[in-house]
Parts: sequence; C-alpha cells; structure tokens
Amino acid sequence: MSKPEPAADDGPMYIAREKIHPREVKGPFQTLRHLAVIVLLGIFYGLPWLQWDGRQAVLFDLPARQFHVFGLTLWPQDFVYLALLLVIAALSLFFFTALAGRLWCGYACPQTVWTEAFIWMERWTEGKRQQRIKLDKAPWSRQKILRRGSKHLLWIVFALFTGFTFVGYFTPITELAGRLTTLSLGPWETFWVLFYGVATWGNAGFLREQVCIYMCPYARFQSAMFDNNTLIISYDEERGEPRGGRPRGIDPRERGLGDCIDCNLCVQACPTGIDIRKGLQYECIACAACIDACNGVMDKMNYPRGLIRYSTENAMNGKPEKVLRPRVMIYGLALLVLTTGVVYSLTQRVPLAVEVLSDRNVVYREVDWYTIENVYTVRVLNKDRVAHDYRLEAEGLEGIEVVTREDTLRVGPGETDSVVARVQVPRDAVEGAGNPFRLIMESTTDPDIRTVNTARFHGPSPGDN
Amino acid sequence: MSKARLLRSLGGTLWPSFLTAAVASVVFFANIDPETLHMQTLPHWEFSRMAGYTIGFFMFWGVGLASSVMTFVLTERSPQESP
Repeated sequence: MSKPEPAADDGPMYIAREKIHPREVKGPFQTLRHLAVIVLLGIFYGLPWLQWDGRQAVLFDLPARQFHVFGLTLWPQDFVYLALLLVIAALSLFFFTALAGRLWCGYACPQTVWTEAFIWMERWTEGKRQQRIKLDKAPWSRQKILRRGSKHLLWIVFALFTGFTFVGYFTPITELAGRLTTLSLGPWETFWVLFYGVATWGNAGFLREQVCIYMCPYARFQSAMFDNNTLIISYDEERGEPRGGRPRGIDPRERGLGDCIDCNLCVQACPTGIDIRKGLQYECIACAACIDACNGVMDKMNYPRGLIRYSTENAMNGKPEKVLRPRVMIYGLALLVLTTGVVYSLTQRVPLAVEVLSDRNVVYREVDWYTIENVYTVRVLNKDRVAHDYRLEAEGLEGIEVVTREDTLRVGPGETDSVVARVQVPRDAVEGAGNPFRLIMESTTDPDIRTVNTARFHGPSPGDN
Repeated sequence: MSKARLLRSLGGTLWPSFLTAAVASVVFFANIDPETLHMQTLPHWEFSRMAGYTIGFFMFWGVGLASSVMTFVLTERSPQESP
C-alpha cells in the first residue's frame, strides 16, 4: 500500500459520472458523524441568534467595520488576530492530519456536513439506496415528480435558510428576519442570500464528492502530512483475501477463502464511491462508513470485527507504532505556543488605538527664545464599548510638555477623533532632528487603558541659532 | 475543445480564483476601507460599504479568473501531443 495518490484510470472528469447513492449504514462511527452534523449545523444556524450584552453575540459588522465576538469587539486594526486565527486553524489541521488522518474530511468539513444533511433529505423523500437508484431509472410519472419535487423543495428551502443564516453573520439577524417577513431585503442582502444558498444547493445537492475529488486543495496536499504512523482506514488484505461468497457457518479456511465475503457493502456505503479493498486512495475522506458496514457483516457471519478498520501503515505491516513522532510534536508545540500567545495577547489587548502624525509643513517653531515647538496630529480610536476621556502626556526629553486646546479628549465608543498636540521642549534639551520621545494617551477613568507612541522631535541643528 | 475539457475548465478556473478572491478580499478590506476608496475616486456616486465589498470581491475574482483561464489555455496540449 502506498501513500494516497490519484487513481491513474480517472477517466474523464465531471461527465459520464454515475450518481453515487451511498447506502445507509449503522454503527458507532456513523453515529459519531451524525452527532457531528447535528452539533456543527446547530452551531452554524444557532449562533447568530445568540444575544450578548444586548447585541448579537457573533456579528461581523462589515458596514461598521467592526467584529463582535461575544464580549470582544475587533477592528480592522486587529486584523493580526484574524491572521493568527487562520494560522492556528491551519496548524490544527496539520496536527490532526498527522495524528489521525483525514478526520477533518470525514467529520467536520462543511462540504461533508451539508452533503450529509442533503442526503438525509434525499432519503426522507426518495427512500433508501435501492429505491433511489430505481427512481433515477424510472420514467417520469406522477410518483417520480412528487418525490423529486418534494426533495428539491426541501433542498431549496434549506439552502435559502442557509444563505439567510450566512448573511445573518454580517447583518443583525433579527432585523434581517424582520425585513425578510416584510419582503424588504436590501439588494446586497438578497444577492448574498441567493449566492450562498445556490452554492450550498449545488455543492451539497449535486457536486458532493466531486468537490472533494476535483476541487479541494486540502485533499491534494494532505498526503504530505501523512507518515507510516498516521491513522488511516484500511482493509486487512491478509485476513480478507482471497475474498468470495460462502454459506454461513462454514470454516472459510477449509475452502481456501479469507474473511471477506465480497458482499460489496463497503463499496455501496462509500460516499465517494471507491473500493477501500484496493488500498488507500486519495478519494477516501475517512468517513468510516465502510468500517461500520463491514463490522455489521462480520457480526452476522460471526467473524471478528475489524476487517476494515482504523489502523496505521506500520501496524498493517507488523511494524511497531509510534504516536509521538517529531512531526506530531512539532505541530503540537507550535499550536500550543501560538494559541497561548493569542489568548494572552487578547487578554492584554488595550481597547484604544493612537496614531501620531507629525506636521509636515513646519519642521519646528520657536515659541520664544527658550522653547522649541513641534506640532503633531494625534488620532484616537476608542475601541471600547463606552466613551472615555483621554489625557495626553509626553516624556523622554528634559522639560518636555504637551499643550492641547482642551485638557482631555472625549471619544465615544467605536469613534475616532483627533487632537492637535503642541509639544514644547527647552531649546537646550534637543539638538538636531529626530530626538525620540514618547506620547502617552491614557483614559482618565481607567489607567489600564493606556498607549505609548514613540515620536520624533525636531529641533534646530547645532549650527543654527 | 471537447465537452469534457470545457466542463473541466469550469472547476479548474472558477474555483481556485474564487478561493484566492475570498482571501484577497479579506486581507485587502481589513486594511483599506471601501469608504475611503469611494471618496477618493467617485465621490458623487452613491455607494454603500456593502457595495464596495461586493464589487471588490468580484473584482478579485475576475482578476483571478483571468489568470486561471490563461493558465488553462496555455497548458492546453499542443496538437502533436494529443492522442
């Protein structure tokens, strides 16, 4: 068995494909998958309705350019957190892939989750696998139109609701629902509801496993994270072969047979339509449906379970297994360090951003014989949820002083304002251009809300008088 | 071009450009407010931020698509190579 590689006899892509109707199987892994679908979809559809501090708990308010995540409000200036979050997501994907293979694909990928939900609806309206295959071949009749029609109706309603929920992450969902009931959605909202709805409908209803096989970048590079100790779904060839049918209750060894009764259930259960007995293939999304299907058969035959099982390449070849490999430890360590760092910096985050711009027109000004002045524009963004009064101070040069028109600057929540700061320094304390000093902005009510900006003070060159 | 190749071109061009456009829009608009662009370019036109984001996303998608299509055309097998 080799690392997963695209099958050579791929044939033409996208066309001449027979629709795959995965057989419904029962077993612990399928129960786990169903649970994952319910929990993940529950989170997706439920989260926008959750309120927190009188506003939507999770709201990516694009028009106002602020993200609310529970008690936290993030601004475009906090973009670094989003970037770090993505890095963490990628690292966890690497970590879990190295450890347990394509867990993501089988249990958590939105494509898998929505496809599963769409297959449930297909099952409710068109029946089990055999009935669906028959219905596909049957000529159009009242019955077929009814079943097909109700399936598509369910799909479309569900897909539109999905699109609506998606937009609800960007526009307050209760208002959105209100506008929907009065049919007064804005043009962009309507557009994105339809766009996301149609994408869901197409991806989960029609494209399904083709997304994994032809469109998913992760499916192509995940094998790079694999090694011989990665959990994969494998068929125990030694035990199973030679496969073949047999009556129940006989000893297969006597007839020179392996444990595989060639019932084909593993193939029928596979949502990507592969035969796991041919070895690991890159189409395999590790959903473990074949494990559950095969175990059911093994139970009926009174054979031990696990002809198809989660295993590693080393275990299959009788070599010792190792869970803690350098690869796993490096991914794990990087993940831990980064996550701790982000959580720590989020707790230390100051809800205030200050920008200092020096006046470009005048380099310096002599206020009187003893004092040199530089003028700066200080822009303040209050990232807190309440208004604050801020006071500006300067330090780092002898005798430095800041003069502002008002003593304090009041900025409302989420608002920006700027103040002109005239910084004055005794003539003999500065020499030439570029003397660094610090401007400190502090809330008058909360000394924790404090920023320090370094700026440069320009004085006359030593030769000038 | 065969029908199979034509169909393959859809997945091979629309999809990667969509993915990159999504990432590009996030990075771009995290740093640049569409409102600023609006004021600097066509201040007389009526544009909401939402419209800015949407136009930006489709612009990125368009650019990515152009590049993908070009790659697709350029990697078309030459007549000597095809079976």
